Amino acid sequence: MATEPADVLIIGAGASGGVVARRLAEAGFSVVCLEQGDWHDKGDYRGIHLDWELTARKQWATSPNIRGLPEDYPIVETDSPVSPLMFSGVGGSMLIFAGAWPRMLPSDFRVRSLDGVADDWPLTYDELLPYFRQTDRDFGVSGLAGDPAYPPDPEDPPLPPLPIGAAGLKVARAHTKLGWHWWPEFNSILSAPYDGRRPCVQRSTCQSGCNEGAKASTDLTHWPKAIAHGARLVTGARVRRIDTNAKGLATGATWIDRDGKEHLEPAKVVVLASNAIGTPRLLLLSADDRHPDGLANSSGLVGKRLMMHPFANVAGLFDEPLMSWQGQFGDLIESLEFYETDERRGFVRGARWGLAPTGGPINAALPSRAGTQVWGPDHHLHVRSHLGHGANWGLFAEDLPDEANRVMLSDSVTDTSGIAAPEIHYAMGENARKMLDFHIERATESLLEAGAHSIEVDRLMRYSGWHLLGTARMGDDPATSVLDRWNRTHDVPNLYVVDGSSFVTSSGVNPTSTIVALALRAAEHMVETRFEQQVPV
Amino acid sequence: MTGHEPGAVTVDAAARRTFGAIAEHLIPAAHGMPSAADIVDDARLGFVLSARPDLAGPFLAALRPELGDDPDARLATLGRDEPSNLAALQLVLVGGYYTDKRVRELIGYPGQLAIEVRSWEIPPYLEEGLIDAVVARGQVWRDPATGNRAISEGTPKTYAERYWSTERRPEGGHDGRDGS
Repeated sequence: MATEPADVLIIGAGASGGVVARRLAEAGFSVVCLEQGDWHDKGDYRGIHLDWELTARKQWATSPNIRGLPEDYPIVETDSPVSPLMFSGVGGSMLIFAGAWPRMLPSDFRVRSLDGVADDWPLTYDELLPYFRQTDRDFGVSGLAGDPAYPPDPEDPPLPPLPIGAAGLKVARAHTKLGWHWWPEFNSILSAPYDGRRPCVQRSTCQSGCNEGAKASTDLTHWPKAIAHGARLVTGARVRRIDTNAKGLATGATWIDRDGKEHLEPAKVVVLASNAIGTPRLLLLSADDRHPDGLANSSGLVGKRLMMHPFANVAGLFDEPLMSWQGQFGDLIESLEFYETDERRGFVRGARWGLAPTGGPINAALPSRAGTQVWGPDHHLHVRSHLGHGANWGLFAEDLPDEANRVMLSDSVTDTSGIAAPEIHYAMGENARKMLDFHIERATESLLEAGAHSIEVDRLMRYSGWHLLGTARMGDDPATSVLDRWNRTHDVPNLYVVDGSSFVTSSGVNPTSTIVALALRAAEHMVETRFEQQVPV
Repeated sequence: MTGHEPGAVTVDAAARRTFGAIAEHLIPAAHGMPSAADIVDDARLGFVLSARPDLAGPFLAALRPELGDDPDARLATLGRDEPSNLAALQLVLVGGYYTDKRVRELIGYPGQLAIEVRSWEIPPYLEEGLIDAVVARGQVWRDPATGNRAISEGTPKTYAERYWSTERRPEGGHDGRDGS
């Protein structure tokens, strides 16, 4: 147990926690991080083993409810068609994420002004641009410069693009005929040696851990540097609550070790980096007499406005062998052709498309995402037609904020430490349903133009809650937001939230690039204002 | 009773026979492929249940004698009343079958290979002009200042124009040795 308070206590060693820890440690702050999971070595991952497709469905599943590891907390999700996905460990959910790295677009920050729905962000794309560039360098992003779906940027990605594969090339040719946008995907996966890490070998097992260390995660890209600058990372540390004093300042956190022993970690500043389920859970768990509705919750918005990007999958099957079990899972190519609002479609906002590989033989043999299953003699024909012959468009629909979509504390389910589990209530909105239906039709056209002989559709995939956003939104008005524009809670001047909870709207793109850019921006502001920061005496 | 011990799990003779019948039913020999009953032996079962010990319980439940001798009826009952037990049975079956070396050779699947990324080579989509076609159509993003599709004066009309006008290499602006 520490006796001297750290300058900064970070809760969660994932994407945003790693970014903040590295920057603050480099700036001379004393940094402590509490992480409920553990370190994982590249050799732990099963992608190079025969049992990869088996263990990816359990021990390395993306859902904590399926994994059920001691460091996971259960999530009550019976009132949701989408299951939240995450991972507890150093590097966090980056260990099992795909690695796609698109930035949010300029219009995403002005949804209310442009489309009359949801809210504008208290910052702009241009304000975030320097942090996008820096985090691209820090994580090692591969991509092709000049994408006309984004404003011109004189700075190129640090690494050349990854291959787009035979499937990507087919679809790219189709989009050329259709006159539709496509572009090689930006991925936080190395296409060449970089910063002491090895490049991608196209094994396509990204979502159960990268054996090469080519896919970025903060256990590789940030924590070693933060620790070299003096940061202290405590694993197996499950936080029970944020502690506060009579002046309304955070004083640290109470946490429980693997043996069930309780500790107090004092700190001058507390930073929550626990994702948009874990962060509101902790704020609600920190309720006391002074904060009966939970910490930093005078707006009543802690836990509300949960957004998860409703996701549909459109698979095209081709006669030609495409070897589509290989290739970065981050995405081969993307299309933003229908990303921006066109009200003639009957909805506002849009969706990003990412073309992904299709998995190995067990995936081809079992019931598909679209529910197709074939047994008996024709099983063999089914597997032959699917294995290596597919291309999947994944469609990420912008999820508009709705206060009814929320994270609460369960009154009946707990984690292994006896702490109340989060309970989510979530429904897909009408705008998103119309949006997905439209995009499914267009993605079907895309794949048919590319030569697909048949199409299989999963209209809303259950295990697709990768993108957890919005449950402690930022804004300028304390009555309608939890955080200010620098990710600091309006109510507690030395408490920050740097994960996806801060998102005002979801955009329609994978959010990790934007999460880490916002986290770095918040950390830079903490450095710049360090002598003005109010701290407990 | 003759017991089979795939991994740490004991599958009794009756359950083994039931599994064999279901394996023959779901994945029979056809189209040049062997049946799962021939492929998924104790060794393969042991492999799967060692990798996934959590499957043992629902797998054995799906094979219990009370569900009768008819594979069709058993599968229908499981699908209706015990979908998680059915899913475990199917996963053990295909897990054993598709991790078999001979089966993999027959379907032309060599496993997830390590393939070198040759990032220094010009990608075929650049050589084909597919990127030029995207660039030539102009900006796609929506300018918040106008609410309309952006108009950027002087933006390149081809990929080469973008690069050679700024003396950049097509494979990126950094040599990759500096991660700071």
